[in-house]
Amino acid sequence: MAEFLFEILAEEIPAGVLPAAREELLSRATAAFAEARLGGRLAVHSTSRRLALVGEDMADHQRDAETEVTGPPVSIGYDADGAPTKAATGFARAHGIAVEDLRVASLPKGAYLVARKVTPGRPANEVIGEILPPLVEKMTFPRMMRWGDGTPEWIRPVHSVLALFDGLVIPMTLFGVESGRTTYGHRSLAPGRIVTMGVSDWLQKLRAAHVEPDVSVRRARLEDLSRALAAEVGGEPADDAALLDTWAHLVESPGVVRGSYDPAFLELPEEILVTSMREHQKMLPVRAGGQLAPHFLAVCDQTGDPKGLIARGNEWVTAARFSDARFFWDDDGKTRLEDRLPRLGKLQFQEVLGDYLKKTGRIQDLTEKLAARLGLSHLDGMLVRAARLVKADLVTDMVREFPDLQGVVGGLYARRDGEREEVWQALYDHYRPASADDGVPRGDVGGVVALADRLDTLTGLFGLGLAPTGSRDPYALRRATLGVVRILLDKKWRLDLPAACADAAALHSGLPRTKDELLPELSSFLLERLRFLLESKGHAPDTVAAVLTTACPDLADAAERVEAVEALRKEQDFGPLATAFKRMQNILEKAPDEGAELDPAKMTDDAERALALDYLQARGMLDDLVANHRYRDALSIMASLGPSLDLFFTEVLVMAEDPEVRANRIALLRSIRDQFVRVARFSEIRG
Amino acid sequence: MDLQTLILKLSAYWASKGCLLEQPWDVEVGAGTMHPATFLRVLGPEPWRAAYVQPSRRPTDGRYGANPFRLVKHQQYQVVLKPAPADVQDLYVESLVALGIDPKEHDLRFEEDNWESPTLGAWGVGWQVLLDGMEITQFTYFQQAGGIDLAPITAEITYGLERITMFLARRESVFDIEWAPGITYGEVRRQDEYEVSKYGFEVADTALWQMLFERFEAEAVRCLGAGLVLPAYDFALKCSHAFNILDARGAVSATDRVGVIRRVRELAVGCANAYVASRKTLGFPLLPKAPSGPAEDEAGNG
Repeated sequence: MAEFLFEILAEEIPAGVLPAAREELLSRATAAFAEARLGGRLAVHSTSRRLALVGEDMADHQRDAETEVTGPPVSIGYDADGAPTKAATGFARAHGIAVEDLRVASLPKGAYLVARKVTPGRPANEVIGEILPPLVEKMTFPRMMRWGDGTPEWIRPVHSVLALFDGLVIPMTLFGVESGRTTYGHRSLAPGRIVTMGVSDWLQKLRAAHVEPDVSVRRARLEDLSRALAAEVGGEPADDAALLDTWAHLVESPGVVRGSYDPAFLELPEEILVTSMREHQKMLPVRAGGQLAPHFLAVCDQTGDPKGLIARGNEWVTAARFSDARFFWDDDGKTRLEDRLPRLGKLQFQEVLGDYLKKTGRIQDLTEKLAARLGLSHLDGMLVRAARLVKADLVTDMVREFPDLQGVVGGLYARRDGEREEVWQALYDHYRPASADDGVPRGDVGGVVALADRLDTLTGLFGLGLAPTGSRDPYALRRATLGVVRILLDKKWRLDLPAACADAAALHSGLPRTKDELLPELSSFLLERLRFLLESKGHAPDTVAAVLTTACPDLADAAERVEAVEALRKEQDFGPLATAFKRMQNILEKAPDEGAELDPAKMTDDAERALALDYLQARGMLDDLVANHRYRDALSIMASLGPSLDLFFTEVLVMAEDPEVRANRIALLRSIRDQFVRVARFSEIRG
Repeated sequence: MDLQTLILKLSAYWASKGCLLEQPWDVEVGAGTMHPATFLRVLGPEPWRAAYVQPSRRPTDGRYGANPFRLVKHQQYQVVLKPAPADVQDLYVESLVALGIDPKEHDLRFEEDNWESPTLGAWGVGWQVLLDGMEITQFTYFQQAGGIDLAPITAEITYGLERITMFLARRESVFDIEWAPGITYGEVRRQDEYEVSKYGFEVADTALWQMLFERFEAEAVRCLGAGLVLPAYDFALKCSHAFNILDARGAVSATDRVGVIRRVRELAVGCANAYVASRKTLGFPLLPKAPSGPAEDEAGNG
């Protein structure tokens, strides 16, 4: 079997686009090769300057293609003597085959003549040479660039194209560059030309030229080096898989240096040091015994650092960055957060919704309303204080320098200003959860302020008609919504969310949309996030649907109901209950609500009386259980109604002739259904 | 190495690569890109290679001379190569070798960093160049300027002179580097930094600058109407500087901001279009001369 090698050498490709580019190149090429009947297995390689495809077990020609074309019906193709007519000979000639090679196919519409044609496969290298250029040139990147005369467009300028099929050059032109069998080594360590004969030759020569084309090999090497270098100073690298992935995409020759910084910098808050290293310098902090140690690890595109120049350079940069941070820390400290508030009036939150001082005012008002709804009014003093200061760090130099630390910086400054622990922690935590694995704000003060901030943003932007659409979510409202849901669930806060949203909406002025327009839309958006969260926790989608199709003003309560149904489903079959619920639902849909009260005296059938008896007994307990959120027990009781429901449906005709009897039976079913939907709409559950 | 040696070496190197040594623009600018030798010359089909130092003012970066890394006024070494030659990265690396940096012993990386200037209606794609973890250069392939899609594409290489000197001399404060042997940057500039910071943050007369913005803008428009591209562009630059002063003084509200940036961009777009039209009328004189007469006529009539 044959092998295939394709390498594009370009100017440095952004590390951030490489994962998607690898995926796109491999999947498009795999699909195109399959469609072209080429067979073989493809793999993708990349470095900071290369994208490559390697094919194994390739056939040297395409598989022959067979096609069938339907011609005239047999009745027209042959005359009475069975000799071919002009219609048959013409059809055969048109498809380049002899008339005796036509076959007869019986189709639904009758017997027809069919021409079967075999197109012999073409040489693989010829076909690949046609497939690849348009495929590569049509790759999409978040930000494309043009170069040279301004015509070619890709992620970065392309310098050489290597394309070999079983050792022979596949002729093609990509962005005006002719393919060949040459490439080049590492930019500074071995920049010379490399002539390759095939896949293993390419790998061997690139590695000799300080280029490791396999990203997983580079990553493993970077991780090993990091551990070893950290261990030399008695520490370990901070756990950061994402940064190691980035490192692996940033280099061709995987190298790591360790540097140190003045331990005096450890007086600065760890958050600031870590962000400076990680976000600004893409460095891994070194930790020892759970604490930051005054060392860092930095990636380099090098085989080593025998003179220590690279380590010293990185140390110098780190010291410069840390001194900068210390300058901001000290300088910002001259102005208390409290005294920064007027400057929030110059920082715009949103054109219609106003500046951050206005937003602060709304957060303060909403915080108090939320506290009242949550029974947390005893925290009002701290809530008002936290809400007042919550956005003040946006006008500090530290946040301008480290935007990712907004909130955290506010918390640290508030602590320095002598604010109470609940208050500074609330500031510190109020953007949490920042991601799926992040926790919610630690305290109740932080939780309430975080909710108020998000509900203010959500109602404001929904009120402006700026709800996310498709993949467009410029204000990160999905994350804000998920934050609301996470906080309510994790804190088990029983909040009437639609009412709280109405509170928030009432604090805005000048919104083009009315509350009646925005609140239902926001509600369903919130429930959608709740559904997403519950399903991603592993709950069955039909259980989640069964609960979320009932009224769910209180999200924590809805989540508890989902958990109860899920728990009980593991123990018993909900199929019969679902069936019984569906039957009730069907009958009630057709039956008018005559508002009849359930009246035992009007019962005529034993099965009817049995059901009513069981139901009335259950209802007394259900009220109590539901009020106390004891949904598992409530569900057991509901399930216990199953047999009497079954018997009822077998023995009793609901639509009795006597209108009073009929109305009474409908009233019985309606009462039972209404009890059930306090937990879930069981008709949604699949057996 | 001291600051002026760095400038001399870069100039000698880029002059040897066919760059014309331009001089700093004499109007306040925020970056070397705003010098007409970049912003205007990247437009249209004519080839261009230039290198120059450009003192750049950023009032909001002022720290009263107290921060070891921040300056209102710093100096950029700007190189523009149009069209960008295929070996432009190699040329750049060679310039570092000319400064005594051996890439085999250091870690040299090109990390994605794209550039955008809403006030100039300009953007480009490229990298920040990291030497042993330190950002020493901004490397940009210009894609658009004054709202005009560019062809051919220019490479812009911007060296941060103070930073590179600090790095090469391993000084921890910009004020400690030597400008020339025996005299430090601090001795030359520190008091300036204090004064321009104080002016920008505390003293600048906002009513005056507001008025100047309006007048400069009107004058730019008037010049454009009279077909005077460069004077119009100078007034656009002055508008941009006025905006920066007002911004540092905290006199531009967030709402105004968008509008003011748009007004400056409109001037930049007007200048860019007028410049291309003017060069076209002149027959794009820097295009390689065609060997025969008719071709020149064609260009002249174009």
